[in-house]
Amino acid sequence: MIRAIIADDEELARHILREYLARQTDVEVVCECDNGFATVKAIAEWKPDLLFLDVQMPKLDGFEVLELVDANLAVVFVTAYDQYATKAFDAAAVDYLLKPFDLTRFQTALDRVRLKLASPGVAAVPAAELRNAAQAPGRYAERIVIRDGARVHVLPVAQIDYVEAQEDYLAFHSAGKSFLKQQTISSLEQSLDPKQFVRVHRSFIVNLERISKIEAYTKDARIAILSDGGKIPVSRSGYLKLKEAMAEP
Amino acid sequence: MHPLFQNRNSLFAYFFAWVPLGAMLGVVISAAAHLDWRATVAIIAPVTLLLAFVCLSPWYLCRVLPLNGTPRWKLLSHHSVAAMFASALVLFVVPFLLQVFARFRPGIEEQFEPGLRVLAGMCFLFFLLSVALHYVLQALETSRQAEVLSREAELKALKAQVNPHFLFNSLNSISALTTIDPAKAREMCIRLSDFLRNSLRLGERTSIPLREELALASTYLDVEQVRFGKRLRVIQDFDTASDACEVPPLLVQPLVENAIKHGIASLAEGGEINMSARVHEGRLRFSVENPFDPDAPSQRKSGFGLVNVRNRLRARYGNMARLDIDASAGTYRVNITVPFIKETGKP
Repeated sequence: MIRAIIADDEELARHILREYLARQTDVEVVCECDNGFATVKAIAEWKPDLLFLDVQMPKLDGFEVLELVDANLAVVFVTAYDQYATKAFDAAAVDYLLKPFDLTRFQTALDRVRLKLASPGVAAVPAAELRNAAQAPGRYAERIVIRDGARVHVLPVAQIDYVEAQEDYLAFHSAGKSFLKQQTISSLEQSLDPKQFVRVHRSFIVNLERISKIEAYTKDARIAILSDGGKIPVSRSGYLKLKEAMAEP
Repeated sequence: MHPLFQNRNSLFAYFFAWVPLGAMLGVVISAAAHLDWRATVAIIAPVTLLLAFVCLSPWYLCRVLPLNGTPRWKLLSHHSVAAMFASALVLFVVPFLLQVFARFRPGIEEQFEPGLRVLAGMCFLFFLLSVALHYVLQALETSRQAEVLSREAELKALKAQVNPHFLFNSLNSISALTTIDPAKAREMCIRLSDFLRNSLRLGERTSIPLREELALASTYLDVEQVRFGKRLRVIQDFDTASDACEVPPLLVQPLVENAIKHGIASLAEGGEINMSARVHEGRLRFSVENPFDPDAPSQRKSGFGLVNVRNRLRARYGNMARLDIDASAGTYRVNITVPFIKETGKP
């Protein structure tokens, strides 16, 4: 039995999925959610095999939901219209349904889901990469979503002091606190505004507004002193990038 | 570059217009200097051609000295000095012409003497006339540009009108309703058609009474009501006096659309949209208020529709209209103030 969750903020939109799914003998809807937070919670609780996900939802959007859940489930996006999102779907989702859709199209999507669930060896594309692909050119992330057990933190990027890579995780430092998230530093670098955030070191990204001064350390390496007294290493190429970013008006 | 040079036809027409002016000049000069027609043509034809070119120069002067915003004395002195230069130039050139012509007709230089002063005076007048015409040209150009601008803004508004999100989501709701409640599905089809038809119809007009605009917004809200159900609540409070105020079409609808897209849709529990219209001291004040999620990314909060409304207001009313946005404590408020212009009668 395929256990599915439906996430859409509109009751009528959920109804269509429910109605189409009622005709399937091998799918069971275990939960319905009308916002992003509820979806993240429900996925942690029910551990479903399949998620029907609306992109635009209150609290967290569909991409943010995916960033917060363990990607081991088949996702079918259900959306009205999103020119950038379709690119991402092509790359990563099992399928996407454009509203309104008919039963035949829905069946096709389900067939793909069954195929995907039958061969679980296929690696899932990390959600953060998916998000980057869906991002409109010239637009950058405005907030970072981080899951901490059952809680979800929404961190506006302006509140980030610096980010440090620690093996598979990123530690986001903000006002003396730090939050861990599973993501690669290069995918984060891509999603942040280069005018505000600079990767000054292989494993450090810093918020330019937090830097109070740069000090020489060795011949090639420097250290950035932050306004709260913190110190982070700056590599030679990082220093060049830093100078470039600060020179721009 | 003078606009006349951008178009061969208009340049030709301009020089053609100088033919009667040159003829007039010839008649006056020949009378003053007692010249026969051959001598007159030989002298006046090149002078007229020169004058035609010189009289294009006020275009640059008029751009630097706009009628509004330049003191009268400055206008008067600058243009007078320029006109004097123009006639001085002609007076400088004429003796050379006379010298050349004197080979064929000795004594012409002395004979033309009384014509010179008249010629100088005429040049002065022609130049000032040209200044006046250039100001008219400039005013026409400005008003044409303003019209193009407002037309463009209106066109953009129309294009932005049928938001694909709205359309596809509404169609999806209809698709759901066909099995749950066929009668309601049909009703929604009709509401949606009403909205599309009316927005096309009203968009064609340059101005409509507020009551029609409000009716359009209501139809829009009816459709969204089906989609959002009890998440969407609408409170309307309109002065009866405001009904008759003339406004540009599709002024209110984008505000309501914004309130849904960036407000109600971002809240799981939904909320209340408050609309009000008041007439006070010859002005109409319209406002739309809605709750929103302050934590939502800003691409959801900022409305492109509002920028468009603001541009259209500026094109239509200049400084006489305002659009104020206030987002605080989870409430988004848009106020529009425009001059109250009563509808003139049934179209």
